Amino acid sequence: MKKKIVSVILTAAMLATVLAGCGSNEAAPAADAPAAEAPATEAETPAAEAPAAEEAAPEEASGEAITLKWAIWDKDITPYWQAIKDNYEAANPNVTIEMTDLGSTDYMTVLATELSGSGSDFDVVTIKDVPGYATLVSKNTLEPLDSYISEAGIDLAQYGGVDKQVTVNGSLYELPFRNDFWVVFYNKDIFDAAGVDYPTNDMTFDEYDELARKVADPTFGAQVYGTHYHTWRSAVQLFGVLDGQHSILDGNYDFFKPYYEMVLKEEDDSICRNYADLSAEGLHYSAAFSGGDVAMLNMGSWYISTLIASLESGEYDSSLCGNWGLVKYPHAEGVEPGSTLGTITGLAVTSVSDQKDAAFDFVEWVSGAEGAKVMAETGNFPALMNDEVAGIISSLDGFPTDEASKEALSVSNLYLEVPYAEKVSEVNDVLDTYHKSIMNREVSIDDGIASMNEEVGKILGN
Amino acid sequence: MDENRMAKVERLKLESAELMRQIRAEDDIQKKQKLIAKRDSVQRKVTAISNNRRISRETKRDIVAYSFIAPNFIGFAVFTLIPIVFAFLLAFMDWDGSNAVTFAGLSNFKRLPGDTFFKAALKNTILYVLGTVPLTMIASLALAIVLNQKIRARGFFRTVAFFPYVASLVAITAVWSMIFHPSKGPVNYILLTVFGVPQNQLPKWFSGSLVLVTLILFSVWKYMGYYMVIYLVGLQGISGELYEAGSLDGANTWQKFCYITWPQLRSTTFFVVVMLTINCFKVYDIAVMLAGGGDGKLSTSATVLVYYIYQNAFNYWDLGYSSAIAMVLFVMVLIVTLIQFRYEKKLEA
Repeated sequence: MKKKIVSVILTAAMLATVLAGCGSNEAAPAADAPAAEAPATEAETPAAEAPAAEEAAPEEASGEAITLKWAIWDKDITPYWQAIKDNYEAANPNVTIEMTDLGSTDYMTVLATELSGSGSDFDVVTIKDVPGYATLVSKNTLEPLDSYISEAGIDLAQYGGVDKQVTVNGSLYELPFRNDFWVVFYNKDIFDAAGVDYPTNDMTFDEYDELARKVADPTFGAQVYGTHYHTWRSAVQLFGVLDGQHSILDGNYDFFKPYYEMVLKEEDDSICRNYADLSAEGLHYSAAFSGGDVAMLNMGSWYISTLIASLESGEYDSSLCGNWGLVKYPHAEGVEPGSTLGTITGLAVTSVSDQKDAAFDFVEWVSGAEGAKVMAETGNFPALMNDEVAGIISSLDGFPTDEASKEALSVSNLYLEVPYAEKVSEVNDVLDTYHKSIMNREVSIDDGIASMNEEVGKILGN
Repeated sequence: MDENRMAKVERLKLESAELMRQIRAEDDIQKKQKLIAKRDSVQRKVTAISNNRRISRETKRDIVAYSFIAPNFIGFAVFTLIPIVFAFLLAFMDWDGSNAVTFAGLSNFKRLPGDTFFKAALKNTILYVLGTVPLTMIASLALAIVLNQKIRARGFFRTVAFFPYVASLVAITAVWSMIFHPSKGPVNYILLTVFGVPQNQLPKWFSGSLVLVTLILFSVWKYMGYYMVIYLVGLQGISGELYEAGSLDGANTWQKFCYITWPQLRSTTFFVVVMLTINCFKVYDIAVMLAGGGDGKLSTSATVLVYYIYQNAFNYWDLGYSSAIAMVLFVMVLIVTLIQFRYEKKLEA
């Protein structure tokens, strides 16, 4: 009897602690409220100090030390985090930025977990991808920035419309500071050896396919691949959204078909490595391109700085891939060249932060002109792209010297790989799954696309 | 105050005497024991009150004992028991980990039958269990029997068989993906050159319907060493006299296996099968490592329940739905284990 009582008490005690842990999420704002009121009531006695305490937030710059906690990934191999921190701190001596590295592999999942509990003390978080952004927004963990944006007078037009693709019910929860877009990298030596003309900034998909076939050499042992598609779905599927009439949120994906046909045909003819192999060996696109047997590679502009840095450090053999160039993405018949896929990295303010004004000031700085300069100087593309920034990048040491490569940096239309939608995480996974099935040839292209239509239809219908 | 105590002692003593009388009159052993325990506790109270101690020595002893198991129990409760109970409740709720929990009734369960990915995961998990459990059992028993003989370098071969179990999963999956590489792997190379399988018909071991076969083969290879050790212990527990008697009666090796080894190993086999079944239902890491490709995502041909639970919980933050799937997994494991226990009991009787 007694034993039972003791164990019941123990369990009850345990439950109480756990419930208290869960409950504190809701309790936290409640606890904040009296805390915020407390100084006000105290301040009433020395009346003169009251306004000072009230106004403290906007005038932070004038003194008062502030520490902002910032979530990032891969601190040691990504040059710009430290550069941003240093430059911002130099401009705002009273602010200290404290970076927390959550690793890149599961960054958004880890971040969502961090922000779920009550123990999070992040003020500013970096948003790595749109599905993760959608999750955080629906979990109410991010602060809507609209009032801050209008107060600071930021002109959203400077982001070239990408802000509209991440607007949630009329509100914006992040400001982009980095913006990568897809281009075609090519190895000039391979084209020279094959006696084929270089790719141009104005290629249709047919011309691109033809070029890949011309430059490829299927001789066993001395194989040269005309092109290379990384295992990501973006690398194949998303050729389809470049015409501006389709999007991955359509719910009908018949427009993927010609591109799957093109790529699978190229696989059959040994024009590119096949997906099953790539997936089994987990070959990274950089290893493929730097091996010197790939003539063309469609990849994001982030690869430019990696390529330059790795060639300089000697990690890549410059006799194999040192002579590279880049051109604009191929385009569908009748579409303006320079339409490409993009992916943005943004900064957001957490809703639990108790220094949101200071946090937004940081976000504004990084996504504004000063931040853009820091990004460009480290070889990355800021979201705020202008001629000056493009100039900084194309004059970097190691950037191809030909005119076409410089010209390739100007983008006419940018379509986000994944624009915002409430259920975008699920849609993304469905498309990934069937992309895998089609590329592994588990199902035919038609069946795969039919499954995409059906499953995404279910998600969007809900 | 003192009188009060005296009166209480008197009352308890009376109660104790009454219980004693009942005990004498009671025939049912179980009821008798209950009464004895009750009388003991009354007696304890009497000693405690008459010695003017607030808690009796026995209670004190109990508290000390509980304090010894407390660290383990608290850990178990916080990290296992409460989450399990919580998951049960969550299956009937909608929760995204941040916003308020809302009651969902059975709607999470109603979604299951229409969910293609759930159905694929369920099918794959069941096929995987059906393939892995018997094969691992047979392989580990065979290994144990062979390595229980007095053969040369027995210790070496035992180590070899056990090695896959201790080796790091990441490392051995990397080796397997090289061996079974669809175009450059030695397995397909042998199929191509020795068996003359045409190049475009070479099996793709990590996709399509073959991926489950690869997963099963891999698991059997990885786990057989561990269960071999359990079987070895079982084999060594069989008395040599039985085999001697069998030999005298002219039993051949196969008969000895059927009538001595196998029945004697029954409880070992039971343990092996239960553990294997439970472990196989929980498969996740092997599937992600072998079939996940570069991004660790599983397509419908390789997805398993635990993966889908994780995906729903931490990618979509649909904790209610993911708990509902977890319940399905739980009930399945429970039913299979109950059947096995039932069967074992029937054999014992």
